[in-house]
Amino acid sequence: MNTIQMDMDLFEKLTILSDAAKYDVACTSSGVDRKGNGRGMGNSVAPGVCHTFSADGRCISLLKILFTNECIFNCAYCLNSRDSDVRRASFTPEEICTITLEFYRRNYIEGLFLSSGILGSPNYTMDLIYQTLLKLRTVHHFNGYIHVKAIPGADPALVERTGFLADRMSINLELPTADSLQKLAPCKSRSTILKPMRQIQNRISDNKQELTVYRKAPRFVPAGQSTQMIIGATPENDFQVMSVAEGLYQKFGLKRVFYSAFVNVNGNSMLPALPGGPPLLREHRLYQADWLLRYYHFKVAELLSEDRPDFNIFLDPKCDWALRHLDYFPVEINRATYQTLLRVPGIGYKSAERIVKARRKNSLTFDDLKKIGVVLKRALYFITCSGKMMYRTKLDEDYICKNLMQDKTQIPRDIREGGYQQISFFDKELQTDFQLLT
Amino acid sequence: MYIFVCEDSIDGIFTGIYDAWASRYGHVNIVLTTHTPDNYSLFEEYITVQTDYEKSAKVAHTLQERMGEETYQEICQAALALEADSHRQPIDKAEAIYKTVVLALSLTDAGRVMNYLGEPCVNRTFQLSRSTFNEAHHLLGFLRFQELENGILFAQIHPKNDVLPFLGEHFSDRLPEENFMIYDATRNLAVLHPKGKGFFITDTGELNQEMLQRLSPQELAYRRLWRTFFESIAIESRKNPKLQNQNLPKRFQRDIVEFTELPNN
Ligand code: SF4
Repeated sequence: MNTIQMDMDLFEKLTILSDAAKYDVACTSSGVDRKGNGRGMGNSVAPGVCHTFSADGRCISLLKILFTNECIFNCAYCLNSRDSDVRRASFTPEEICTITLEFYRRNYIEGLFLSSGILGSPNYTMDLIYQTLLKLRTVHHFNGYIHVKAIPGADPALVERTGFLADRMSINLELPTADSLQKLAPCKSRSTILKPMRQIQNRISDNKQELTVYRKAPRFVPAGQSTQMIIGATPENDFQVMSVAEGLYQKFGLKRVFYSAFVNVNGNSMLPALPGGPPLLREHRLYQADWLLRYYHFKVAELLSEDRPDFNIFLDPKCDWALRHLDYFPVEINRATYQTLLRVPGIGYKSAERIVKARRKNSLTFDDLKKIGVVLKRALYFITCSGKMMYRTKLDEDYICKNLMQDKTQIPRDIREGGYQQISFFDKELQTDFQLLT
Repeated sequence: MYIFVCEDSIDGIFTGIYDAWASRYGHVNIVLTTHTPDNYSLFEEYITVQTDYEKSAKVAHTLQERMGEETYQEICQAALALEADSHRQPIDKAEAIYKTVVLALSLTDAGRVMNYLGEPCVNRTFQLSRSTFNEAHHLLGFLRFQELENGILFAQIHPKNDVLPFLGEHFSDRLPEENFMIYDATRNLAVLHPKGKGFFITDTGELNQEMLQRLSPQELAYRRLWRTFFESIAIESRKNPKLQNQNLPKRFQRDIVEFTELPNN
């Protein structure tokens, strides 16, 4: 067992360096299943595991920390920018190893998410991160999940070496457009972000080749790469944000794009004040749309356009799409293709799979659909079972819309009841505003 | 009707299936249950099933062979699920599993039986299996080990379903070099894993509380360090205790160190 000097020092460091890391989003649902190797500790579970939930209701699965917040850059939205007046600290590689291992064996965490400010230079920082991972993997035989940040501007050789030790790598795009990035993060540029992103993408695909030739070849970033954009700090609309995300999925082969509702941490005058709190409902709609891209075969151009550049706040993007494409409905449950079923509000991709399997034996009824997990109060306007609708309803936009709106879950409970000003505002104005919209 | 009353365990239910088959009364004339009847009916014949590991192993073997690993796992998960106390469910757990197995073995591809969700017995088996799976999956994350003075990692849980086999498998793979014990306080059963070996499940009776109080000297320091992290990682402007409780149901919180009082030392 490891012993460690547990002076106040380590508590303080952990407070500072986890506080500084908390706006980064990560998730362990990685699709990587890795068995333990019988020594050391650690394995990896494909669907991800939540270990606990913090007071903001978000899942904690990884020890999410910065290596250091002694940063030489000056990104306007960041609390660790060199111009902020905050307490500074840096870990040593050994300290990170000890905390990771001791937390892991007590099952507090699923692994490590190591990010960092820029200490000295990008290369120096990247090397410290590399040394930490190397120690964890080779000295301590830690075989659990590791998500690591690639530092913009670091030597590609260092990035590559680190990638052979990590499960996932990410480089944050930070802001949706190059303009915004230049304004708010003058030390970063699109090219110092996109270049390593491309490098990692290429290395991942080379590695796939290597693995087909030689099954035991070392694996490079097996859980793929992800990135994150800050939402609401700059004026981009949803159409711009989602188009960027679509581009990242298609052209850079990203596994995940995360959206992080902007929190104004330092009262910087270049940034919006957001008296109503962070734009959580907008963030939620973007995540819903992101699912539609990744699991439901939607294209951004089907959901948004120059003329309708933002999502409907009151309805989830799929309902919203369905209402504008009523000619597509109703869909016959016992005949429709899987792809068609995916487009029906209230039918998730798992339910769609179950429907296709279950109807082989006998025709499904509304009762069966309920058992399968279809949300009928949403789906009923859009489907028939053996030619019949559930109730007599009109296939009429206003009518369906009004009914769908009555379903409170259109705005998730946690946001509705989160006590945010913006939502109580919406609630009051909901009816009147909505009449204006339709 | 012939009612086969079996023990509420995988082996109990599998033995029940074996006996039901061997009886040749015909599947439609047989019902399996794990409830001891509270009032006997004149028109039913009750048969008490004696759990028999050999019979159970035979059934397990056949199912594995005919259904494939994945579907077999689903059947086991269903058998491990908590059965409702009274007859609140339309179909008893054992009956649902029995009839699902009967249907499966009548198909050319038994492995596809779980697709027949329109069949009430398959549907019930599916719900039971999902309930065990979900709880086990939650506990992969929510379970907490503490290090005792003797170096053993000890965890206590209060699950609804019998999830120990899953937890044993997961943590033996994850922590091969630890001596650990996972104690199901609802059932007084525990997974024991000696370092470098396989795990086994055993009946424990009540545990010696005094031994459990003797923590390793570092234990509380790490617990405090973890709480430090747990508290500082939350974003103040997104604070939302309702969402927290919705995601992490209260019934789990009692066994999770960051939600319980720190003992004073
Ligand atoms: S590089 Fe920018 S975002 Fe990262 S820690 Fe430094 S100031 Fe913050």
